[in-house]
Amino acid sequence: MAELFSFLLGLAAFYSIYQMLALSLNLEYGYGGLPNFGKVMFFAGGAFVTGALLTRLVALSLGAPPDMVWDVSKFKIYNTLLATRGSGYLATNPLLALTLFALMLILGAGVGALLGILASYPAVRLREDYLGVTLIVSGELLRIVARNYEPLVCGTLGVSVPNLFAWAGTYSELIKVGSMVAVSTATVLLINIMVNSPYGRALRAMRDQEAAAASLGKDVVLLKIKTLAVGSAIAGAAGSMYAMYLGAVVADEFTPLKTFIVWLMVVMGGAGNNAGACLGALTYIGIDRALTLFKHLIPLPFDVNYLYYTVMGVALILLLMYRPEGILPERPGRLYATTEISSDSRGGQAAPH
Amino acid sequence: MNVVLDALAFSNIIVLSSIGLTLTYITLKVPNFAHGDLVTIGAYTALAAARLLGITPYAAIPLAFIASGMAALASYYLVYRPLDRRGAGIVTLMIASMSTEVILRASLHIFADVMTTSTKSYWRGFLFREEGGQLTSYIVVSTITAILIIISLYLFLHRTKYGVALRAAVENPSLASAIGIDVDKARAVSWLIAGGLAGVAGVFMPFRTPTDPETGWALLLRMFAASVLGGLDAVFGAVIGGYVIGLSEVLGIYLLSGPPLNLSTAYRPAIPFAILVILLLIAPRGLSGVEWRRLLSRMSRGVVRSG
Repeated sequence: MAELFSFLLGLAAFYSIYQMLALSLNLEYGYGGLPNFGKVMFFAGGAFVTGALLTRLVALSLGAPPDMVWDVSKFKIYNTLLATRGSGYLATNPLLALTLFALMLILGAGVGALLGILASYPAVRLREDYLGVTLIVSGELLRIVARNYEPLVCGTLGVSVPNLFAWAGTYSELIKVGSMVAVSTATVLLINIMVNSPYGRALRAMRDQEAAAASLGKDVVLLKIKTLAVGSAIAGAAGSMYAMYLGAVVADEFTPLKTFIVWLMVVMGGAGNNAGACLGALTYIGIDRALTLFKHLIPLPFDVNYLYYTVMGVALILLLMYRPEGILPERPGRLYATTEISSDSRGGQAAPH
Repeated sequence: MNVVLDALAFSNIIVLSSIGLTLTYITLKVPNFAHGDLVTIGAYTALAAARLLGITPYAAIPLAFIASGMAALASYYLVYRPLDRRGAGIVTLMIASMSTEVILRASLHIFADVMTTSTKSYWRGFLFREEGGQLTSYIVVSTITAILIIISLYLFLHRTKYGVALRAAVENPSLASAIGIDVDKARAVSWLIAGGLAGVAGVFMPFRTPTDPETGWALLLRMFAASVLGGLDAVFGAVIGGYVIGLSEVLGIYLLSGPPLNLSTAYRPAIPFAILVILLLIAPRGLSGVEWRRLLSRMSRGVVRSG
């Protein structure tokens, strides 16, 4: 029973993170037609800023010697100790802990947005294939720098992050995952509002016929920059949440395979349909978590995850051939009834321009 | 001297593999993300031949060509051709390419694990060891192989009737099919050659660095750097691109890791990656795409104006 409970908690935690990633890619690619093959870069950006700052902030506020925090050679050794002490300190100070949780999400989103705006420079200039390679390489560059530049996240060793929910005692895990689900759900609502607004309609117009959208006065370049900024901010916040959930940041985790997994979720579920992207994320994470749980029961001479990747890869290729629109295809948008449009246009004519 | 020889050997591997990457890019205009794994397949074929048949890895070069070539051919017939016939767009083809990459890499992991348990020997992080001084035989063999392959590929593509037809078919499929060239077959042959060359490159990999199922994937972005530098529409541009990228990576980190910068050598892959990003942003069509004459005249005009 307790095992089932902890399995469900883990599932909810990973789902809420990947739901945010899948939805952000769906906003960019599914609605806006921007193929972001560098999703992991923005995710990593949020995780790295959290790993670089959270432990240090907590350590400084509990009065750790500054050289232990700022001298990299010492911080590399003491960061786990500082994170543990920090968790203990935050256990008595829930208000500070929650403030830090919110601050880290905002910082992660900010770094993500910044990287997204940077990425929009090639995105408005390059063709899809060149753009894809550019973003994959940029993500790898970020990872190489993070694993070698130790002041960021302690290089290959990784950095520990304090538990911001230690104050909840035995309910710590439950409240942590509950907050993550709340953040993720808020993202779902936000994106749903966005794609059903005039912005969302302009986005789809740009995807379907960029020239036509531009001819109707839509600033296509600005639209692309905005979309990449918003999508990457969401990915950055997800990265920050990932760091706080796992309690550690290791640079080498953020490989292009993560990008592929998010693409798998969106294309499998149905690009251009948020319910589809969520379904894709749930399917992938559900099987992935179950495999992790039952791995020791499967008698194979190799890691079952490799088999899982192979099967998922084949499934995705078959889906691209026989059902390219995904499990839940995009539905036509909510349209106004004809009468509404005609009365609208009459009203429009009457109004002075 | 040691560093220069190492750089040369590394460049040979990049050149052999990036020629194929460019060739497949020309056929379908899709970056083949699985090309790195074709290199790994070549390396594992050589290892299997050396361990199971007891031959030297050099004798396994034809086998590696066939194994990687067949893998490339299979990915063309099973993945790209069906999608292309359904009118798939470039993003769809790129997703399929990433899927193929993940399938091949995961399969190589499974293969390595199964072989490790069944033969009770290590199939990960393996090396082909050699006795000898600085100028080990693999540097000589890889250089000779690269030169021979480049020359024979050039002769094949430019001096034989079949090669010319093949180039016509991949570069302008509609015109080529109008004059009776079998475009589909030409594409298949291109994929076979491209995969085969990657396999040959793979044989030389374990002489240099410990090889595991991730090795080729780690090499992929360097191949892209070489192909883009040479121009993705020019097969032999990849030769120049490959040598520039390989030499600048090995010699570059040799210089940067010494005084005064003392940079960690782990930054090595950052050199070709940075070159690639800068190239894509400034001259995405590569060296062959730069209009040198216009650039020069513009620069001289700029000098005149500022003077």
